[in-house]
Amino acid sequence: MKFGKRLKQHVEETLPGWRDMYLNYKDLKKLVRLISSSLEYGKSEEAEFVYLLNNEIEKFNVFFMEQEEDFIIRHKELQQRIKRVNESESSSQGEYEEEMARIRKDIVDFHGEMVLLVNYSNINYTGMAKILKKYDKRTGGVLRLPFIQKVLEQPFFTTELVSKLVKECETTIDELFPTVVVMEVEMKEAATMMAGEGIFRNTVAALMTMKEIRKGSSTQSHFSLPVLSLPDTELIRSFQLNSPIPIV
Amino acid sequence: MPYSYGSEQQLLLFSFELLVHISNVSEGARQLVTMEAQSALSFQRPGARQFSNHGAASGRSPALEDKYPKFTNPQLNFTSGAVGHIFSSSSGMSSDFHFPSVVTNLSEKAPFIPQSLEIPQSTTSNQYMKETNNSSWCTDSLPDFLDYPQNTSIQSSNLEHSIMPSEDLLNYSQNTPIQSSNLEHNIMPSEDFGKQNDWQDWTDQLINEDDALTPDWNDILIDSNIADPEPKMAYHVGGSSTISMQTQPLIPQSSGETGVPLTPTPCGSGSQSKPRMRWTPELHEAFVEAVNKLGGSEKATPKGVLKQMKVEGLTIYHVKSHLQKYRTARYRPEPSAEGPSEKKTTSVEDFSSLELKTGLEITEALRLQMEVQKRLHEQLEIQRNLQLRIEEQGRYLQMMFEKQCKSGIDKFKASSSTEPPSLEANLNKPGSELVVGPSEEGSSKSGPDVSQPAKRAKVNA
Repeated sequence: MKFGKRLKQHVEETLPGWRDMYLNYKDLKKLVRLISSSLEYGKSEEAEFVYLLNNEIEKFNVFFMEQEEDFIIRHKELQQRIKRVNESESSSQGEYEEEMARIRKDIVDFHGEMVLLVNYSNINYTGMAKILKKYDKRTGGVLRLPFIQKVLEQPFFTTELVSKLVKECETTIDELFPTVVVMEVEMKEAATMMAGEGIFRNTVAALMTMKEIRKGSSTQSHFSLPVLSLPDTELIRSFQLNSPIPIV
Repeated sequence: MPYSYGSEQQLLLFSFELLVHISNVSEGARQLVTMEAQSALSFQRPGARQFSNHGAASGRSPALEDKYPKFTNPQLNFTSGAVGHIFSSSSGMSSDFHFPSVVTNLSEKAPFIPQSLEIPQSTTSNQYMKETNNSSWCTDSLPDFLDYPQNTSIQSSNLEHSIMPSEDLLNYSQNTPIQSSNLEHNIMPSEDFGKQNDWQDWTDQLINEDDALTPDWNDILIDSNIADPEPKMAYHVGGSSTISMQTQPLIPQSSGETGVPLTPTPCGSGSQSKPRMRWTPELHEAFVEAVNKLGGSEKATPKGVLKQMKVEGLTIYHVKSHLQKYRTARYRPEPSAEGPSEKKTTSVEDFSSLELKTGLEITEALRLQMEVQKRLHEQLEIQRNLQLRIEEQGRYLQMMFEKQCKSGIDKFKASSSTEPPSLEANLNKPGSELVVGPSEEGSSKSGPDVSQPAKRAKVNA
């Protein structure tokens, strides 16, 4: 139930358009319970379960690839924008600065969105792994091992391209941002300012969720992930100011 | 603490696995996990400094990825080799995964598209399989080929394509240990024929739809068919495949990229959507070039772009939807892909509020955001690698287990004692299937693979 709750929380907090795209963990769990409690468990129940799982996978794949396609396009567009603004001789310094500021914001948000997609992929994979484990445990089946192999190769889990784009973005961003010494006070102020923002809020939430999910398994096995230790947990948690009023 | 697959360890792992199957999680498992965790976590930055430069840290992931040639080579090829992919929705997995009686139910909902089945016409006439998906799909289609050779012969009269996948499957299967567990799933030949008919219906539908939209569809079809008289496969089967026809790279007419492989996806829903396409940056580059040649995103038409790009397997649908996205991206710079309402309102507010703040504050805020995002991404990559590794280990254990079982039974059979039944009964209890198959080869292949990461873990730890 821990994961289920976490997932539900995450889905509620996530970007609106993404909410329907997550794993139907709750429903699948119900099905597992149903199957395990029914007296005659046979091949057809397993088939139904697999059918549903495949539906979920298809859902992930479709969404993931759409997003990926968008990211490819936007990535290139951002680079074009930067190129254009650097090459345009006609604009004044003020205009240049303004456009650069906009680009910086956009590219950072873009980076965040891509990371959120990777997070999406991971959460759904984790959910799948968990539900399969539950299934095997409850029904004594051996569905998990072979099925998860298939999942590993699905488009939604092969996130290499998006990760590559993320890293390229980081390189670009490093070039765009002037190197300045960061003061503790300014950081806190910045945090306050950023707290309500869409993408940032989501990435902070995602990081905290991840930590919670990885807290420690009640059914620790050689298939369990180790506990996640984030050195800056407290600081990151402090960013989660749930302010309903937009901070100006 | 170094962790390698020595023979002692193997024994330990095997006995552990046995225990797990018979009873619940043992203490040894926890130790293994913590050992693993320690070695894995040692990859991470010491974490002493907050917000340090993540460049080095993120650089580690490729190293981790290198450990898993089976997994990552295909993807690396995929991303860097400029291969786009089309995924058609089908119920491939589900039907293969289970027993015939079940499959017949599902097949009517979602037509199965194994690699062997070729579509004689239409957009999907040029089917190219992507290797990674092959590893998932091939494993299931494998029984088809092994058990029912008549399938391939029937289809070969249609197209040469069908033989290639089977060959490749056989080759590939020797490299992936998982094959053995799938071999027991027998699929009836009648299913395949049924599926083939479904597929034909699908493609007919596709063609009919297309006619309405593009009168020159036949041109495109003819063009692509002429251009592709012989089978081509966009395979980069990590050196494992030895198919003679395999390495014919697809039309590298535009910026040197290969064509667009078609891959079935697990579709239980029976939604007969068009084959799913997976874009790559290289493919997009070619697209942009084509669009620019045609006078820009407004002037360019899908048909024109398609012709200009000359990429095998690309359909007008793909181009059309991609063009739409492209136009949107250009004329509304940085729209949020999802959640427009939320993001847009915040960004409108923010813009005015941002103007009030100094440039420095904004920059700092963004910098902070970047740090968090980088951190999240780093963790995600680590987590993913761990997950891959865990499953790989699980497979290896399973393989070892099965190998032990098999050799154990063989020994008993050789000595012809009366023990075999009870041993088999014991081994069958946990529900694991006792399979015959290329498990030996699979395990011997997987052995070194798995020990590699362990060795490298040693180095990195």
